[in-house]
Amino acid sequence: MFGFLKGMSVTLSQLPKKKVTLQYPDVRPEWPERFRGVHRFIPELCINCNQCARICPTDCISLGGERDANKKMRIDTFDINFDICILCDLCTEVCPTEAILMSDTFEMAAETRDNFYLDMNWLYENQLRYEQNHPERAQAATAGDDA
Amino acid sequence: MELNADSRLPVIEYEGLTPEENMELRRAGVLLQPLEQLKAWARSNSLWPLTFGLACCAIEMMGASASHYDMDRFGIFFRASPRQSDVMIVAGTVTKKMAPLLRRLYEQMADPKWVVAMGVCATAGGPYVRSYSVVKGVDQVVPVDIYIPGCPPSPPALIYGLNLLQEKIRREARMRRERA
Repeated sequence: MFGFLKGMSVTLSQLPKKKVTLQYPDVRPEWPERFRGVHRFIPELCINCNQCARICPTDCISLGGERDANKKMRIDTFDINFDICILCDLCTEVCPTEAILMSDTFEMAAETRDNFYLDMNWLYENQLRYEQNHPERAQAATAGDDA
Repeated sequence: MELNADSRLPVIEYEGLTPEENMELRRAGVLLQPLEQLKAWARSNSLWPLTFGLACCAIEMMGASASHYDMDRFGIFFRASPRQSDVMIVAGTVTKKMAPLLRRLYEQMADPKWVVAMGVCATAGGPYVRSYSVVKGVDQVVPVDIYIPGCPPSPPALIYGLNLLQEKIRREARMRRERA
């Protein structure tokens, strides 16, 4: 009897506590700022230095571009094969102009593997989505550039 | 060739009937269609995955079923036997030595069964894509329904993939009539 009461007291003491379960499809998780989700890409900043493709451990990045009229490098294609990307963040660390960054997009599950070949348009749309979802972070980034 | 997701679903053949009768049933579907949808509703809300953790993705899979994300909310309970499970979550790197065992476990599961490839290793080989001993994607061994990329995918990403699978099961039941 004493054991039963002891056990029940432990059980009942849990009752008033706050529930820890995140009701995920209804409530979105709050990711920290350095969360490594799918990449986002800003084509205007890219200088075609190819460092991200070289450092990638799985060689999932391929890019190409040419010089425009002002002899400035301009990016034409930038593809990430998300099939084998391991989200190691090395491409973001090595990028000199911060053209490629990590976003907090994580809902990437699909019924085919075709959707995982991410091109420049998709990555730029992801950047726009990220700016929309986190206006304060985008503002902080531009303010940091000015300073 | 149509490339939308619904046109690639398998055509259902009822057992013990001739092709003509099958066609007739699929076209009419008055009696069986609501039954199929009811079955799909029941199946999609009681997905019992086989615990198939092979690497670090298994840790995230355990985290997804623990109290912080709690997959029991969707009726997803892990079973330790292929005889009792409907869905196999392949979480981790499938080596060539493991592939025959994976196939055997898949064949031991009772129909209807589904496979979820969790993480980039199970999807396409991931970081081991140039390795001599790793299967480049579990879809070379078993048919995969849902691919979840990420290394490893976070528990919400896994739950998103499983919700997608539930939607797929229900959609397959709805589409049977329309695809006759």
